[in-house]
Amino acid sequence: MSEPAQPPIPVTVIGGYLGAGKTTLVNHLLRNANGLRIAVLVNDFGALQIDADLIEAADGDTISLANGCICCSLAGGLVEAMLGILDRPQPPEWVVIETSGVSDPVAAAQYAHLPGFRLDGVIVVADAETVRRRSIDRHVGRHVLQQLRGADLLLLNKTDLITTDQRNDLRQWLADIAPDSRVVETVGARLPVAALLGGSHVAFDRQSHDEHFDAHRTWSFSDAHAIDGGRFRATVAALPASIVRGKGVLHLVEQPEVAHVFQLVGARWSIVRGSPWVPADRVTRLVLIGLPDHSDHSDHSDVEAVDRMLQELHVDRERSDPLDEELV
Amino acid sequence: MTHPITVFVARKIVTMNPSNPEGTHVAVRDGKVLGVGTLQEVAGWGEYTLDATFADKVLVPGMIEVHAHAMEGLTGLFSYQGYFDRMAPDGRRLPGLRSIDAVLADLRRIDATMADPTEPLLTVGFDPIYFPGERLHKGHLDSVSSTRPIFLLHASSHLGTVNSAMLARHDITRDCLTIGVAKGDDGEPTGELQEMSAMALAQSALVPFMKAATGEECLWGFGRMARQVGVTCVTDLASQVLLNPAALGRWQRIVNDPEFPSRVALYSLPAMPGASADFGSVAAAIKRMQAEEATEKLRFPGVKFVLDGSIQGWTAAMNWPGYYTGSDHGQLLTIPEQLVDWLRPFHDAGINVHMHCNGEATIDVAIDAVEAVLKDVAWLDHRHTVQHSQLTNQAHFRRMKALGMCANLFANHIWYWGDQHYELTVGPERANRMEPCATAKRVGVPFSLHSDANVTPLGPLHLMWCAVNRTTPSGRVLGEQEKITAYDALWAVTQDAAYQMHLDGELGSIECGKYADFAVLDASPLDVAPMAIKDIAVWGTVVGGVAYEAAVTR
Ligand SMILES: Nc1nc2c(ncn2[C@@H]2O[C@H](COP(=O)(O)OP(=O)(O)O)[C@@H](O)[C@H]2O)c(=O)[nH]1
Ligand SMILES: [Mg+2]
Ligand SMILES: [Zn+2]
Ligand SMILES: [Zn+2]
Repeated sequence: MSEPAQPPIPVTVIGGYLGAGKTTLVNHLLRNANGLRIAVLVNDFGALQIDADLIEAADGDTISLANGCICCSLAGGLVEAMLGILDRPQPPEWVVIETSGVSDPVAAAQYAHLPGFRLDGVIVVADAETVRRRSIDRHVGRHVLQQLRGADLLLLNKTDLITTDQRNDLRQWLADIAPDSRVVETVGARLPVAALLGGSHVAFDRQSHDEHFDAHRTWSFSDAHAIDGGRFRATVAALPASIVRGKGVLHLVEQPEVAHVFQLVGARWSIVRGSPWVPADRVTRLVLIGLPDHSDHSDHSDVEAVDRMLQELHVDRERSDPLDEELV
Repeated sequence: MTHPITVFVARKIVTMNPSNPEGTHVAVRDGKVLGVGTLQEVAGWGEYTLDATFADKVLVPGMIEVHAHAMEGLTGLFSYQGYFDRMAPDGRRLPGLRSIDAVLADLRRIDATMADPTEPLLTVGFDPIYFPGERLHKGHLDSVSSTRPIFLLHASSHLGTVNSAMLARHDITRDCLTIGVAKGDDGEPTGELQEMSAMALAQSALVPFMKAATGEECLWGFGRMARQVGVTCVTDLASQVLLNPAALGRWQRIVNDPEFPSRVALYSLPAMPGASADFGSVAAAIKRMQAEEATEKLRFPGVKFVLDGSIQGWTAAMNWPGYYTGSDHGQLLTIPEQLVDWLRPFHDAGINVHMHCNGEATIDVAIDAVEAVLKDVAWLDHRHTVQHSQLTNQAHFRRMKALGMCANLFANHIWYWGDQHYELTVGPERANRMEPCATAKRVGVPFSLHSDANVTPLGPLHLMWCAVNRTTPSGRVLGEQEKITAYDALWAVTQDAAYQMHLDGELGSIECGKYADFAVLDASPLDVAPMAIKDIAVWGTVVGGVAYEAAVTR
C-alpha cells in the first residue's frame, strides 16, 4: 500500500469477429509505436501472428520486439498475465489486449480496472464486407452484435471491399444497432496511431510518414485560469463524432486545488479526480484528435465548430478569476 | 533376473472382460495380468506368492476418470463450504452446509481458529443455486468479522462474495469501475464479485489460492483422491504442460514416484509458449511428448478444447427454444469454421481430441467440425469425444455413431443439479433426457461417465449410482427411460473410459496382457441393490500390481 504510486498503465482492448483485422491493427500499432513500450496480450489460442520482421526473440510465453514492445500469449489467464506485467523489471507503458473472435471485449476490458492499470478504451474492428451477414449467423450472430455494441470506437475496416452505396447502408445500420459507438472507416486498420494511443507519445505533426492513414487533425488547448466543469462536460458531450480521442488535465473552478484527468476514446469519456496541483503547473491542457468523418461531408464545418467550442471554454475567465484568487 | 509372480485372491473378481467375466484369483507379473480364473487356472504361470490381503474383497478393474481437473487435489486444503458432504484426499469428511446460517456459523468457527486477526479467510464450494430465496452479501459476512477479510469462492469459480473488511483492504468502493463489482441500490458494493476480473481485485485471497492450484501438494492430493475412490487412471482434462515446461517436470517427478497412487492422463489445452504457437507445432509437441515423455504411469493421449459454458450458469449455447427460465448467456467460445481449422492439425496427426460441449448448439458445432476434418483425412478410429455432452439428443448420437465419435456424460449432474435443471434451466422434458446414457447405448456410441472434479467430487461409484438410479435430492427420478444397468455403468467407467483415450488395449479390464489395475471394494456394484452402489466401501486400489490402501475416512 505504501509503495510509491506509479501512474496506471493504460489498457486498450481490441475486439471484433475473426478476420475483421484485429491483428492487422495490432501490427500497425507496433510498427508505429514511436518508442512507446507496448505489451500486447493475445487472448486467443493459436498463433500470435505478429509480423515476423518485428520479432527479435521469443522466450517462454513472451515475444520481444526490436522496438522494446512485447507480446504475450494468455493461455495462463488474464489475471496472471496482468500481474506478470506489473512485475516486469521494466513494465510497459501501454497494454493492448487482442480478444478472441467470439469473446466480449467489454468483459476483457474489466481486467483493465485491476490496480496498476486503467481502461483506455474498447476498439472493435468490423469487417465491412461481412459484418452484416455475420450478425445474423445462427451460431455467432449474437456475439457479433454484442461486440459492436460494446465498442467505444468502431473501426469499419476493409472498406476497400465495398461500394459507396453499401458503405452508406452499413453506416445507417451501425447507427441503429450500436448508437453509442463512434465509427471510423479504415483500410488495413490503418487508424492514425495518435487516435488510439493519445497525444503524449506520438508526434502530432501532420507531415507523418504515411499520409494515407495519418490524415488526422489535432486541437490543443491550454488555459492557466480555471475552467467551468459543467461547461466543459457540456462541450465534450456536444463534440462532433469525428473527434475520436482526447486527453488532458483540467483546472476546474469547482475544485481548483486538484488536477482532474480527462480521457476520451470514441464515445466514452471520463473526468477523474487526480492529485493536488503543484502550484506552478495549475494549467488546463487539452488535446483533441479528430479524423475526417466519411459519413457526412462537413469535415470543414466540424473543424470550425470544435475551434469555436474550445474558444468558448475561455469565456468564463472574468467570473472564475476572483474565485481562483480567493483560493490561492 | 527373476520376475516374481503374485497371485491375488479375492472373494470375487469382476473382470469386465466379456469372454472371461469372473474369477477368484489373478496372477500378476511385471505389473501386468497373466491371467484370471481359479487358483488352478492361474497357477501354471510358475512359482508365485499368494497375496490374501483381498481375500474378503471384490476386485473390479481400476476405474478410469476421463474428465477431472488437478484442482481436485486442493480439496480440504482450503475450508470447504459446499452444500453436499465431500471427502478430502486424506479421508477427512468435509460436511456440507445446508443453510446460509450454517455457512456463517462455520465461518465463525474458522475465524476463531485463526491467530492473526487480519489474515484473509478464503473458503471454496459455496453454491448459491441451493439457496434461491436469499442472496449472500457482505452484510452476512460482516456479521462474522469486521476486521478479518473474508472471501467465499463459489463452486462455479465465476463468483465470489466478500465482506466489508475485504472491500476496504483492496479499496473496492462505489467508485470502482469494474462491471463485475455488484452494487446495491445505495451504489455501494454488495460484496458480490462477478467473474475473475472482479474477483482478482481481492488479490490477497485469490493469489494464494491460484498459487496452490499449481503446487505439488495439489498434484499429490489429486492422486490420493483417486486412490480413495477406486480410480487407477485419472485425467487432468485442461492441462498446461505444453505451455509450461516446469509443469511437465512437476507432473513427471510426482506421478512417476512409486508412492503416487494413480496413473495420470494429461489432455493439454492447445497452448504453447512463444511465437510459433500455431496448432501444427502444438500437435508436433504432443506427438513428441507421447513418444519421449510418456511412461507407464503418465500419458498424453490428446488435446482438449473448451467450446461453451455451463448449463447451470446459463452459459451453454442452446438451440431453440433455449433455456426454460432465466436469461440466456449462452456463449460459444469458438467460431464454428475456426474450430475446423483448429481440429485439423490434431486430427491429421492422429491425436485424439476432446471437446467440452454442454449445450445442444455446441454439440452440433463439434460434430460438424469432426465431420469436416474426416472428409479430408479418413482417420476412422479417432474416437474424438464430446465431453459433458449433457443435452445430446438421439440425432446427435446417430451422427456421432456414424462419424466414430465418443461421449463422456456428466452423470453427476443428475444428483447435484438435477432438480435445478428440471425446475429452472432446461425444464422437465429436457432435464429427463440429460446425461442420456440409455440413448447412447441404444444408438451404439461408446460413452463414459465423469465427475469433472473438482466441479463435483471424484468418485466413479457415485457416477454409476447416478446413471443407474437417476435420483435427485428431492426424490425425483430424472428420466426413467435413460437409466442403464449397473453392468453398463461399470463398463462405462472402465472399458469405454479407456477406449476414448485409446488406452483400452492396456486398461479397462482385468485380463491377460493388461495392467494389473484394480479397484478393491467391499462388494460388487453388480450385486448390491442399485441404490447402494454409491455406498460401497473402497479399500483402495492396485496400480500396476502395487496396492495403495485408502486413508481411513473420518
Ligand atoms: N481487403 C482487406 N483486407 C484486410 C484489411 N484489413 C485486414 N485485412 C486482411 O484480413 C485478414 C484478417 O486480418 P487479421 O488482422 O488477422 O484479423 P483478426 O482475426 O481480426 O485478427 C488478413 O489477411 C488481413 O491482411 C482491409 O482493410 N482490406
Ligand atoms: Mg487475430
Ligand atoms: Zn468442461
Ligand atoms: Zn472440466
